[in-house]
Amino acid sequence: MKQCTIIGKTNVGKTLFLINFAEYLGVKSLVINYTYKEGSEKSKTISSKTAISSLVDEKPHKTLCIQAITLNIPIGKGKKKIKLIDTAGFIDGIHPDIEVRKAISQTLTIIRDSDIILHMIDAYAAKKQDLPSSLGEVDYQIAQFAQIKRGYAILANKMDLPGAEEGYRKIKEEFSGHMIIPISALYKRGFKEVKTFVARNI
Amino acid sequence: MINKVKHTIDNPSQIHNMLIEGEITPGEALTMFSQLERYKIPFSTVNEEESLEDVMKELDQLIGLSKVKYLVKEIQAFAQIQKKRREAKLLTEPQVLHMIFKGNPGTGKTTVARLLGKMFKHMGILQKGHTVEVERADLVGEYIGHTAQKTRDQIKKALGGILFIDEAYSLGRGGEKDFGKEAIDTLVKAMEDYKDNLIVILAGYKDEMERFLQINPGLRSRFPIQIEFNDYSVDELMQIAKMMVKKRQYEFSPEALIKLERLLYNSQNDINYDKLGNARLVRNIIEKALRRQALRLVKQKVISREDLLQIKPEDISEV
Ligand SMILES: Nc1nc2c(ncn2[C@@H]2O[C@H](COP(=O)(O)OP(=O)(O)OP(=O)(O)O)[C@@H](O)[C@H]2O)c(=O)[nH]1
Ligand SMILES: [Mg+2]
Repeated sequence: MKQCTIIGKTNVGKTLFLINFAEYLGVKSLVINYTYKEGSEKSKTISSKTAISSLVDEKPHKTLCIQAITLNIPIGKGKKKIKLIDTAGFIDGIHPDIEVRKAISQTLTIIRDSDIILHMIDAYAAKKQDLPSSLGEVDYQIAQFAQIKRGYAILANKMDLPGAEEGYRKIKEEFSGHMIIPISALYKRGFKEVKTFVARNI
Repeated sequence: MINKVKHTIDNPSQIHNMLIEGEITPGEALTMFSQLERYKIPFSTVNEEESLEDVMKELDQLIGLSKVKYLVKEIQAFAQIQKKRREAKLLTEPQVLHMIFKGNPGTGKTTVARLLGKMFKHMGILQKGHTVEVERADLVGEYIGHTAQKTRDQIKKALGGILFIDEAYSLGRGGEKDFGKEAIDTLVKAMEDYKDNLIVILAGYKDEMERFLQINPGLRSRFPIQIEFNDYSVDELMQIAKMMVKKRQYEFSPEALIKLERLLYNSQNDINYDKLGNARLVRNIIEKALRRQALRLVKQKVISREDLLQIKPEDISEV
């Protein structure tokens, strides 16, 4: 099964996208597979509502493990299974908490094995400084790294918020030449384009 | 930060450890991973070999030129093996790839030069692989010092690619006092200075080029590769003609083909055939035919699609 991994700075909306994108593709109850840093695994079945309230948070570094959902992507008349993976978010500097650093190390293991990388950037925060999800050096390093991958797209998230349009413009300037899809994980906007992109790369 | 630790990185777990220990940022870890990955799969072999194939295919698709194709493949194979030997730290022959192309105008010299540029680029021998085409007037100036300047300017443009000097023998004209000599001297010096990043091709009529080399014996060893471009046969010229009209979305009527063939036969017996320009002659005949066809059609009341497509015998004439 092909792996499609969502990465990006912390708090950009990766987990909310995972849940809402699964729902968009018709998944009623989510089977989330957790992989923890030590290597242990656990599987839970929950509704997307519960998932959002328990896994999405306005505070950074909510996700500290690998959270995966198996999805059916329609291709032509058929369907193809992929594993959509949510990861612990990145930061520009060095995090003081070793647990966070371990989680990021786990993210790196996952993306090295992934076929498709969805790099999420917070369009709302792209022109602002000092937010945990502001556009940062690590975003450029991700883009650089991802060139060796087969499928790589940037998801400019939170397009529903005021000022996101300008942020989106900045992202387009900074990452010209890459595939950039404006989305709102909250309102499920731009999901069709993401689906098409994923389908084309598996 | 990256430079500090770069030297020892040879496996992923090292990077993970540094990240967990808080020695490097996540972004730096990513950068190291890309370097590690690049090191593992040298992209010069994977990606570029594919495109090299494309170039070789392009070469194969040229009409005629069998001897030239063979030589180009020989050069390509040799260069590739030398590169492999160098990578394996074995002794290598010094690779001098400057060339002399001998042949009449319109025999494919420029086309082959351009392909060679691309080929060497894909093989990592040239950085850019572009071809700068010049002739005497682009190199030779009007006063002392002017020529060196002009020649150097052209060389600069060609760095990373091929400097193709058409009718190069004309630089040997006029003897010692001619500025052509100055151009040659400047060129020879540049070939030393930019040994690894410039290929010079001297092109011109066979006889003239041979005379030129006799007058400048020092050049022979600097241009170790000599390729002869023979005239195209009438058959080959016909193939070229058909390809040219097809590209322009025209077609010959059967009678037009016969007329063209006869015309080409006759021109080969012309004492000036070597100057008529082979493929270039074909192009000129075709371009003229298109104009004559247009002139014929505008006089017609009704013009069909068929009319627009077809070149008839009356459209074909000497140029
Ligand atoms: N307005 C708006 N808010 C969003 C959108 N996507 C995410 N958010 C909010 O952004 C915050 C972070 O969302 P998460 O999905 O937890 O972000 P994450 O990237 O998973 O972050 P970590 O796991 O903590 O690294 C939450 O408060 C979300 O409600 C969006 O499209 N629009
Ligand atoms: Mg999260």
